[in-house]
Amino acid sequence: MLKKTLLPTILLILAYGFWISPDFKEIAAGVSIFLFGMLFLEDGFKAFTGGVLEKLLQKTTDKTWKSLLFGVVSTSIMQSSSLVSVITISFISAGLVTLVAGIGIIFGANIGTTTGAWLVAAFGLKVKISAYAMPMLVFGIVLSFQKSKYLKGAGAVLAGLGFLFLGIHYMKEGFEAFKDSFDLASLAVAGYPGLFLFAAIGAAATVVMQSSHATLVLILTALAASQITYDNGLALAIGANVGTTITAIIGALSANVEGKRLAGAHLIFNVVTGVVAIAFISQFIWAVDVVSNSVGIAADNYTMKLAVFHTLFNLAGVLIMVPLIHRLSGFLVKSLPEKAKDLAEPLYINEAALEFPETVLNSVKKEVWHLFDSAFEIMAHGINLHRTEILTSEDLKKTIAEDREIHEFDMDELYERKVKVLYGAIVDFISNAQSHIPSVFSEELFRLRKAAGEIVECVKHIKHLRKNTTKYMLSDNEHIRHEYNRLRYQIGLILKEIYRLRDEDEYDHALAVLEMDELKADIQTRHRELDVRVTEVLRDDLITPGMATSLLNDFNYVDEVSRHLLDTAQALMSSHVDLVAEAAQEVVLDEDEIEKASAA
Amino acid sequence: MKFSELADKFEKLVNKTEQGKRIKPGKLNKLQQLLGDKKSRYQAKLDATNDPDKRRKLETRLRVVDAQLEKSKHLPVVE
Repeated sequence: MLKKTLLPTILLILAYGFWISPDFKEIAAGVSIFLFGMLFLEDGFKAFTGGVLEKLLQKTTDKTWKSLLFGVVSTSIMQSSSLVSVITISFISAGLVTLVAGIGIIFGANIGTTTGAWLVAAFGLKVKISAYAMPMLVFGIVLSFQKSKYLKGAGAVLAGLGFLFLGIHYMKEGFEAFKDSFDLASLAVAGYPGLFLFAAIGAAATVVMQSSHATLVLILTALAASQITYDNGLALAIGANVGTTITAIIGALSANVEGKRLAGAHLIFNVVTGVVAIAFISQFIWAVDVVSNSVGIAADNYTMKLAVFHTLFNLAGVLIMVPLIHRLSGFLVKSLPEKAKDLAEPLYINEAALEFPETVLNSVKKEVWHLFDSAFEIMAHGINLHRTEILTSEDLKKTIAEDREIHEFDMDELYERKVKVLYGAIVDFISNAQSHIPSVFSEELFRLRKAAGEIVECVKHIKHLRKNTTKYMLSDNEHIRHEYNRLRYQIGLILKEIYRLRDEDEYDHALAVLEMDELKADIQTRHRELDVRVTEVLRDDLITPGMATSLLNDFNYVDEVSRHLLDTAQALMSSHVDLVAEAAQEVVLDEDEIEKASAA
Repeated sequence: MKFSELADKFEKLVNKTEQGKRIKPGKLNKLQQLLGDKKSRYQAKLDATNDPDKRRKLETRLRVVDAQLEKSKHLPVVE
């Protein structure tokens, strides 16, 4: 109900405001142009997130100080902490950065965002910025018509900055005219109640405008036009800092639990910083005066002093919170736990991951591994083995020979619940993602979709295999029992090897991809050996012809499962970031080459 | 543009697509070095064992690595 009436109400209030005050219209238009500029800026920066983004993130966020610096620099460049938080949420959702690194980026973004106040305070209100805005807009729009992705991006960034400046210009003009007819200072209340009131106004304004930057510019322009007092301005800036977290919270709604935790960290940081700033406001005012005097800011230059204040209290917040970063992360993990793991539910693919080509690829890759994990459980039980037996057994052959326990479970039900649903979600996500990513990434997406399909095939083959495996592993005929144990061993060994290569940190991706070829050649050799053995045991009447037929048929299933598993692992272990691994993908042998290499 | 020029461009495009991805020489050298090291490791293991089963397995793996090394020599390289 509220949702339905909110928009018409806002529109009506705005229309009424425009009707009674042309100055209000100018301010509102300024805010709108400013926000429009931010949208352009966001699009522009997205164009520059080519293949290097993932690599850059890995290198620049592996330590807390690096992630802090990353937040400071990226926000200073993009001039929007909200944008940086939303982008970080999408990084974290796709598993590109850790929660601690994400929190570091958010902390850094809070310092980075203060550079905007400096820019506006130092230049924005002193010079006729519309004079810079116009050429920027013209150059920006001309560039955005170009075919090159990067020129388009540069055009969007220029146009975005142009709109930002133009927005500031209109807000400034509006306030200049507004100051004679309306006095915001009349709302002022002395002491802490006044501080809290203006902080609440600042937070509300930021929630409405979805940008603390826009609020800050409004505060600075209102301050320059003497619409508000210096104290009111400080409280409004504190409120704006708290209000800005709403963008991150909205962004986190579509993210996974890690994204939600990050939005929680942002909220906690900004609320703590805000409370500290209000509690120690007199100390902060004193510190601002000291800093302003030492850098030569005039005592009555309140716009610059507000910029100093904004930087100081965010710096104080970072100094307080950085030592607690790991505790904060632990607290968030505890307070926002992952749902009881129903493996069928996608863990990585979500709307937030659609933001960048890298986040799309990374989240799909992780989700396919997730599908692999789910299928692994079913496949292991399908051949009457436990996952832990496969992964940890020192001598898998011996374990299989000794373990004759039959695993009772409904394979169809498990397949429907844990594999089919997840596979459907992956295929659906990839279809949606195709329109979000450049064609150069499509090839890898296609490979990942094929890999997911191969995992599904494996489970289906294991289902066929299960009947005879269960029957013959309990048989009194040791020859057929032995052969079926060999089949179980082959599948178990391949799964074990894939997990070993995946989890070994030091192992080279390129070699892991190519080692799968060696395993494929081993399978070929085993196939030939099996043919020879079956002929022998059949000739010596050690197994019946029916048993031999079953064994040969089932070996074909095992063959298919092995190939699919190895192809899948090759697709999942290849990497567009590791260029040697990418080259290795081109050296992977085809079926004929494997056949030739395996022949003695 | 003349038709012959268009046909020429098209042919170049088709060749480029058919040749697949082009690899940077530095990356290809690194890959060949990794494969070479691996081959030496397998060879050393082969020389150290008399177990026929292990030897057969190692020989298969050596042949695979050889085939991969050979294939890597024919990869299109960025000029």
